[in-house]
Amino acid sequence: MHTPSTAKPGTRTITMKIKRCDGPGKPERWESFSLSVTTGQGMNIIAALQVIAAKPVTVEGSRTTPVVWDSGCLEEVCGACTMVVNGKVRQTCSALLDQIAPNDGDVVTLEPMSKFPVVRDLSVNRQRVFHNLKRVSAWVPIDGTYALGPGPRETPAEQEVRYTLSTCMSCGCCLEACPQFNQEPDSKNWDTAFLGAHAISQARLFNSHATGKELAPQRLDALSGPGGVGDCGNAQNCVKVCPKKIPLTESIGAMGRAVTIHAVKKLFTMK
Amino acid sequence: MSNTPVSQSSVSFLDRHHLLLRRLHSLSGIVPIGVFLIAHLVTNSSIMWGKVGLRGDGADMSLAEGGAFYFHKEVVWINNSIPHLLLIELTLWAAIAFHSVLGFVYAFSGRSNTRNYGYGANWRYTLQRISGYIGILFIFYHVATLRWGWSFLVPGGTTWSHHYAASTLALSLRGGTEITLAGVLVSAFYFVGITLLVFHFANGLWTSAITWGLTVSQRAQQQWGYACAAIGTGLMLAAWASLLGFFLLDPVQATRVEQAYYQKYGQPIPKRHHLTDQNITPLKTEPSTLGKN
Repeated sequence: MHTPSTAKPGTRTITMKIKRCDGPGKPERWESFSLSVTTGQGMNIIAALQVIAAKPVTVEGSRTTPVVWDSGCLEEVCGACTMVVNGKVRQTCSALLDQIAPNDGDVVTLEPMSKFPVVRDLSVNRQRVFHNLKRVSAWVPIDGTYALGPGPRETPAEQEVRYTLSTCMSCGCCLEACPQFNQEPDSKNWDTAFLGAHAISQARLFNSHATGKELAPQRLDALSGPGGVGDCGNAQNCVKVCPKKIPLTESIGAMGRAVTIHAVKKLFTMK
Repeated sequence: MSNTPVSQSSVSFLDRHHLLLRRLHSLSGIVPIGVFLIAHLVTNSSIMWGKVGLRGDGADMSLAEGGAFYFHKEVVWINNSIPHLLLIELTLWAAIAFHSVLGFVYAFSGRSNTRNYGYGANWRYTLQRISGYIGILFIFYHVATLRWGWSFLVPGGTTWSHHYAASTLALSLRGGTEITLAGVLVSAFYFVGITLLVFHFANGLWTSAITWGLTVSQRAQQQWGYACAAIGTGLMLAAWASLLGFFLLDPVQATRVEQAYYQKYGQPIPKRHHLTDQNITPLKTEPSTLGKN
């Protein structure tokens, strides 16, 4: 992803091959668009999509509708523009054409994430990502009727671990690349389907927070149940595709350990 | 965290005991199945190194004869000295059935994606499932033919007997006294089966450490990965040595060695149901202290 550009100076023509879909349940189709790219201008995929939107004419010369996509921060911290680029999931704002399509005639394929329902074209509904955060109570409980005062002290060592975990933007890359996390059209099954690395890692983040650990038993119950950490198949794609380089497989190991201890404790206390 | 309370009855058995079943699945792969696999491969590979195990006795025997003698001695020991052998077998079969049935359920919940994400661990994830599918087929064939006596599935129709463990196994793998095409095919299936199962065990050992939370840091996972690779390599060599040793073993000569064993211990030579058309005499060995202990 962070490979240096090998593009030669000057202008080249590349093809953007995009998977299109007019709406939920509508048939999919592929459309290709020709694009002129000048080396050194730093054009990313979002900028390319803007150029295509301005003149939505396919390589065959037929006029079509502008391609729909999602984007937000354009600096790889919001996760909205996550798509499947040349078969691999990533943020498209940080996908620079000088790097991924450096030669004349290169083809860039764009697909929406396959694990979430398509809204239209490249835009998907990632509601389940946030539903899974609710399943593991990924928050610090501080709501109350009186001031709780300052929170407990956090050691620098804890901060260091937690900072990395906290950079998660819920983009869904780890879920898209996971062979155990699959499209679940019926939201009734969302509570028993696999949570995925993202929610497991967030449970670890809040379990290690001095105040957040109040909800630890409840989070570990969720992680012990159907769709919990036990459903991980250790393919470890999550950690490879994570744009924030969060040690997701360490989080899975840590939560596996916590769930083991939690289960043994429950066995002996019968609670 | 379910927002709507779910009644107990509407939740499936698998979901109600989710963690327990997941962990029993993981554990059963190591104890008893993995432990048995290690013992099984150590015993069987003695066909190759058994002469060394005789510790100087049987010096007049060839490497193959010494191997067959030692292996036979081990098999006789297992059948005569281990108490409740059938109970142990039943436990093992039950554990394998449990591990494989749950394994199928778990494997069907995933969708392999090595085409787009061809990372090493992802390939191992996929191979773990494939090796499970083919491995259980192999185990079924292996146990059905050599333990339950389904000799109609054995090329040459040999019925394996623990009285003549080495010779009847060689006959089953070769398809007869001489190596036949059917024998080569069965042995090739054995090669695929044992290779995949040893991988399945070594890789399962690696993933189970993450599942149980023994290896948390990436470094710990990597180091344990090396250890599992070493264990897997050792078992793989034992598995291949076993197969090669019995595939190359001359069944007639092996029978002579087995008869020599009974003679040595003053035991009656058990009735033979294999190679009945041949007159086989016990191998003559030095009147040494062969296999005294």
